[in-house]
Amino acid sequence: MSSDSDFTTEPKEYQHDDDGGPQPEKHCGHGRGGMGEEVARKEDKRFITGRGNYVDDIKKPGMLHCEIVRSPHAHARVENIDGSRAMDLDGVVAVLTADDLLEHDLATMPTLMDDTQDVLVNEKVKFQSQEVAAVIAEDRYTAKDGAEKVKVDYEVLDPVVDAAEALEDDAPLIREELDDQEDNHIFDWDTGDKEATEEAFAEADVTVTEQMEYQRLHPAPIETCGAVADWDPGNDKMTVHMTSQAPHAHRTLFSQVSGIPEHKVRIVSPDVGGGFGNKVPIYPGYVVAAAASYVLERPVKWIEERSENIQTTGFARDYDMTGEIAATEDGVIQGVKVDVLANHGAYNAAAQPSKFPAGFFNIFTGSYDIEAAYGSLTGVFTNTAPGGVAYRCSFRVTEAVYLIERMVKVLADELGVDPAEIRRRNFIPSDAFPYESATGWNYDSGDYEKALDKALEMADYESYREEQKRRIEEDADKLLGIGISSFTEIVGAGPGKQCDIAGIEMFDSADLRVNPTGNAVLRVGVQTQGQGHETTFAQIVAEELGMDVDNIVVEHGDTDTEPYGLGTYGSRSTPVAGAAAAVAARKVRDKAKSIAANELEAAEEDIQWDRQSGEFHVAGAPDRSITITEIAAGAYMNHPGSEEPGLEATNYYDPPEMTYPFGSYIVVVEVDRETGEVDFEKFVAVDDCGNRINPMIIEGQIHGGLAQGIGTAMLEHVTYDDNGNVTGGDFMNYLLPTANEIPNFETGHTVTPSPHHPIGAKGVGESPTVGSPPAIVNAVVDAMSHAGVTHVEMPMTPDRVWESLNEAGLALDPSQNVSFDFEGGQSEGPADD
Amino acid sequence: MKAAPFEHHEPTSLSKAVSLLESLDDPTILAGGQSLVPMLRFRLARPDTVVDINGIDELDYLDESDGYLKIGALARHADIEESDVVTENYGSFADAAPLVADPQIRNRGTIVGSIAQADPKGDWGSVLIAHDGEVVAEGPEGERVIPVDELFLLPYDTSLDENELITEARVPTPPEREGSAYHKLKRKTGDYAMAGVAARLRFDDDGTIADAGIGMTAVDITNARAADAEAHLEGERPSAELFQKAGELAAEQSNPESDEHGDASYKERMVNVLTQRALGDAAERAGVVKRRATP
Repeated sequence: MSSDSDFTTEPKEYQHDDDGGPQPEKHCGHGRGGMGEEVARKEDKRFITGRGNYVDDIKKPGMLHCEIVRSPHAHARVENIDGSRAMDLDGVVAVLTADDLLEHDLATMPTLMDDTQDVLVNEKVKFQSQEVAAVIAEDRYTAKDGAEKVKVDYEVLDPVVDAAEALEDDAPLIREELDDQEDNHIFDWDTGDKEATEEAFAEADVTVTEQMEYQRLHPAPIETCGAVADWDPGNDKMTVHMTSQAPHAHRTLFSQVSGIPEHKVRIVSPDVGGGFGNKVPIYPGYVVAAAASYVLERPVKWIEERSENIQTTGFARDYDMTGEIAATEDGVIQGVKVDVLANHGAYNAAAQPSKFPAGFFNIFTGSYDIEAAYGSLTGVFTNTAPGGVAYRCSFRVTEAVYLIERMVKVLADELGVDPAEIRRRNFIPSDAFPYESATGWNYDSGDYEKALDKALEMADYESYREEQKRRIEEDADKLLGIGISSFTEIVGAGPGKQCDIAGIEMFDSADLRVNPTGNAVLRVGVQTQGQGHETTFAQIVAEELGMDVDNIVVEHGDTDTEPYGLGTYGSRSTPVAGAAAAVAARKVRDKAKSIAANELEAAEEDIQWDRQSGEFHVAGAPDRSITITEIAAGAYMNHPGSEEPGLEATNYYDPPEMTYPFGSYIVVVEVDRETGEVDFEKFVAVDDCGNRINPMIIEGQIHGGLAQGIGTAMLEHVTYDDNGNVTGGDFMNYLLPTANEIPNFETGHTVTPSPHHPIGAKGVGESPTVGSPPAIVNAVVDAMSHAGVTHVEMPMTPDRVWESLNEAGLALDPSQNVSFDFEGGQSEGPADD
Repeated sequence: MKAAPFEHHEPTSLSKAVSLLESLDDPTILAGGQSLVPMLRFRLARPDTVVDINGIDELDYLDESDGYLKIGALARHADIEESDVVTENYGSFADAAPLVADPQIRNRGTIVGSIAQADPKGDWGSVLIAHDGEVVAEGPEGERVIPVDELFLLPYDTSLDENELITEARVPTPPEREGSAYHKLKRKTGDYAMAGVAARLRFDDDGTIADAGIGMTAVDITNARAADAEAHLEGERPSAELFQKAGELAAEQSNPESDEHGDASYKERMVNVLTQRALGDAAERAGVVKRRATP
């Protein structure tokens, strides 16, 4: 582990452990379920046996059900809402509109980008399926029947769904309620050094440019969003069980929106059936359920339907990007430029906590040592659902990685240099870390060439290159393409200086309490949605205290009991809350030392912690040892006079920097020249996330993320027609990959610890989603690049691929490569010459 | 699922079902629910009454008899997938079954239900066309047989009377020297076809094509017959050139629409490709030709 860090923030107490910290590559397997061990997931028993507890499983006495009336139009003025026919139905309790919410000052809510979104439409609908009214009924079926009976009169307006068209002079004005808003333009942002970049381009031997769209996606967790709100008038307390990736942040926002004091708001996020960024924002449905419960003084449940989830909750991506690279004739990159048109939908509701309007998009120099970089970006309102959530990524790093990894391939093809070789010529050298990028990011550690070399070897790269050549020479009916992505990630949001939600800096927390009988409860401020926190965080504590992992339970998701945290997304849990867990455990260990001294009747300075055995012993007398279980008993039954009784510690951890996981993915595809269909031949993923806590969970994370990367590259797209109708808004039209679309993944790893993280870990969950789409697109392009193809847009539908084949003169008719030899029966001679 | 309210009937015999269909106002039949259930869920279908035929055991059969492969109204896609008779003799059925939806749906969805639904994106209509199949309908007036060419009128619309239900779909048992195949292009498992082609070829002893059947999926307002291509094939010896021309004629006769999954001109092109592929498989399965790659 590097110790010559020059990070601006001083390393904190406990951040660097006095015994060098865990080094799982050396120490793993001391058998207590600590770092590096493949501990079976503690949470799986309840999931596999159907005993999970999701929001829709929660039933309360007297609970009502909420159904939302949504606009069929994308842009329309609401002239009148008549709920009387709904109220006539048996079982309908209330019909709520914006007017009702205005009475309680709940008609609007702030977005995470300081915009203001209607909870229920006040005056004007701005996207299809926007929330217009809500029907509250005794059961969910009646609520749905009632919603159909609410009569809404609309004056339909012209919509605009395309970001470029939205900027035209004659485009309809979407946000007329905003002061000073005369067009659909939201913001311009630029980053890097424009002048130096222009200079690099002017002097370059070669420049290449490519326009590419990162299409609108939806995170599409299997559990949709929902809430059960329960206002308790006896205690003036609001309890909301909801699908939340960030319960504490949501508590603060709920309190701000509702005016209920924060100590009287309890948010519980029970088991969450996938989040992927979808459950970071606050949605109108949550607020409506809470408002209805407050007004009616009964619990109210709201559960989204699938199509409501895809059509109205936070989308991801939707960046139209033009990239440019300037390089020497040897392929050394001297400058990179990017210009982006960002479709933000009807409200600026991007769920990203950085202090930059485009999140971490300015990481677009990627894994490469590029001196000059400049990016410009324009955000635009359109009549589409608001969003811009970080779908399994850190706030636009996915778009940035796609851009640079695609552009490097474009450059390689332009120069006729092997795409692996061109990466080698440009990687940030492993001895250059910590490294400051041209756009100001401090990379903690990396060894990019090592990961690439490993991936090339695992993929048997050279022999595929030969096979590719052979097929081209023989005019084979299936072409081979080999794609590489050597991505660098930026995760662990984040340092308070760079990241906050509603002003709250993005630290995270852990509270560790060791019981008298030697087991422990760790409470954390992050919220698992399938990441395996209940296991991995217990492993961190097991490692730091020499406890058995089975003796540690991890609790999360209830704001009444957990310490304040900012939630789980952007692979931040291990970098931030994982660090807090390690530091809290080290604080406990520190106190344990004095108890050990008391128990062993030795001086505290003579007590040594032995990571391998997980025990404390007297220096020079290993037999005089004591375990944490014995120490725990001592802490409660025989505490030394110098210490308080008990054995617990809390840590709030503000990371000094982001962490920078990386990896190299190699994808080999076969492209059918007759149909444009793409088949995966090989899929190698080498990841480096620093020190590894649970390799099995990491592999599971990689598999899931790669599947989502395949969905991105091949299948998924939220589409709209010109009238603003969502045409890709359900699972019949928004295509998720299944096991049949997923090839066998071959995973590998390298280990380059983060020098500033207490256990040297970096976070990994989003790497595969971020890193794989460019590898897949590069592979498909690579199959056709010998004929001049430079790009295929995602999702790479067969017709898009076939169009490229056709334009490049590569498309094939079945009759061109087959003949039929007659072989049956009495006829003379062959039927076919 | 939050469907609009409806009345649910569950007859246990065909005669009870027929009399229910006669007595009820605008009833909807539920077999596997493959299409009806999603439509109920979206409230696109709002039937007052649903007649659930799943309890009528006499409709649950799949057998080869009297010169036909007979598919009862409750035979599931999975039954076709698992049938040895189908695997041996009915190539297009064996090809199509595992390409329908996903395993869960194939365990419930029925062939007859899919045909009665008359969705132009359904696979079985094309297979039935290629095989010159027919359906047996039962109504208050008794039983009648409807040839497939007289069945499909418009998307989701057939020539069935309001009170009729299809009890059986059937195709002639293939003679010697006949083969069939189904090719489907789709974006993912469980997805509808972007285009699909079923082809059947029967050969004379001298190796000329005696009879050809080609049905097309998802490229017209109904499952459609590629009649020009069929006519072009009959009386000819199989060859790559012949199949290419048939592919072209089928593509010309198709009438696909552009959507988010594919452009119309691409789908037309794919009708050509899939027709050639299906014809090649059919000819090979008839035992008349051997396909050879010519790089």
